[in-house]
Amino acid sequence: MLKIENVSKKFNEKVVLDNFSLLVDKGEVAVLLGPSGVGKSTILRVLNNLETIDSGNIFYNNKEIDIKSINKNHLIGMVFQLFNLFEHLTVEQNITLALEKVMNKSKKNARKIALELLTHYGLADKKEKFISQLSGGQKQRLAIARALAIKPQILCMDEPTSSLDPLLTTHVANNIQELADEGYLILVATHDTDLLEKLNCTIYLMDKGKIIESATSIEFFKNKETYPLINKFVSGTID
Amino acid sequence: MIDIGLLIKSLPQLLKGASVSIQIAALSCSIGLTLGTIFGLIQSGKNKLLKFLVGIYVTLFRGTPMLIQLTFAFFVLPELGISIPAFWTAVIAIGLNSAAYVSQIIRSGIKAVSKGQLEAAQVLGLSKFQATRYILLPQAIRTVVPALGNEFITLVKDSSLASVITVVELTKEGSRIVSTTYDALTIYTGVALIYLIMTSTLSFVMGKIEQRMSQHVKN
Repeated sequence: MLKIENVSKKFNEKVVLDNFSLLVDKGEVAVLLGPSGVGKSTILRVLNNLETIDSGNIFYNNKEIDIKSINKNHLIGMVFQLFNLFEHLTVEQNITLALEKVMNKSKKNARKIALELLTHYGLADKKEKFISQLSGGQKQRLAIARALAIKPQILCMDEPTSSLDPLLTTHVANNIQELADEGYLILVATHDTDLLEKLNCTIYLMDKGKIIESATSIEFFKNKETYPLINKFVSGTID
Repeated sequence: MIDIGLLIKSLPQLLKGASVSIQIAALSCSIGLTLGTIFGLIQSGKNKLLKFLVGIYVTLFRGTPMLIQLTFAFFVLPELGISIPAFWTAVIAIGLNSAAYVSQIIRSGIKAVSKGQLEAAQVLGLSKFQATRYILLPQAIRTVVPALGNEFITLVKDSSLASVITVVELTKEGSRIVSTTYDALTIYTGVALIYLIMTSTLSFVMGKIEQRMSQHVKN
């Protein structure tokens, strides 16, 4: 279980996370929903040690996490909005790099793990290709495969469908659901309301650095009026 | 008129000089590339003191003529008790000069690598050194291969300055032959042609390296 407790962060004088708290269980998909600039991506970046926090605590399985050592412990993985795949490496090397250099796997073993992941994500025939030779959907799948290679327990996905068409959004939603079913704890930051309909998740609507309303996707789509703020955002209503 | 007979007769001596020129260029290139990469990384880093020191180094070596640096190293350093053979004086002085330029080329390459690449490396657990070694430098160098190629070509031509501190390289061999044959047109045409062949070959090789290193952007 991941517990984020009263995390606050300011960029200069602008508050981006305001006593942000969240509880996510194993196998759960937590979707942080909201427009740009409400702090969705920042919380994912904080969890991945890409941003520091001013105050607050983060626990995993009731044990406080030292965020500074989180990358070395491989507790968490991240799929970036722009994928951030290594352009100068092949598809296979994007996965084997961390396996060989960080996890000290042999070249043979790293390639075996990479091939399993690439096969699972339908990219086995692209293993010798470079990133520029992949489509948007293929890049997205490779970014997921690369993040999973280090076997994290928590997977963060920043705007995973922002550059994908509806069909690929469905594929990504299926991938996320499959990972949750496998026991991964997944945090998704998105403003893509189409993704919500395709996921069995908990929706957390954010504004000004904190959660202002939450609901499971099933509850929300069954009775939208009960959740006026999420409903307003999903329907795109302007006051 | 160019005396072809004299040119052919002088060729072994000129080629001997050319081989010295190549040695100076190759060795100073190694110094320039190694130090230049380290300095480029320092200038892209966060250590203010080191950045300041490298800044002074770059200003000094870029702001004074290489000829002055060479003659300074050859004539002034021995007075301070530092005596190095002329060949190595040339190699070190040209190498140090090149490092100043290479550092700026590498720095621009590092700037061109997106921040996201290093963030991805960090999230995967790579240390700062590993991220630099496997992600930052390979990408930065790929971007600046054409600029580095130009720097290396300049280096080959600059090796001719070693002639002023008594190193018998291609230019010096040429002037030695002219002093006995008095046929400046023939000999210096030959010298120029050999330089042209050397720089064209280097240009071709750099083109191939550039092609090879940019295969990741091919579709």
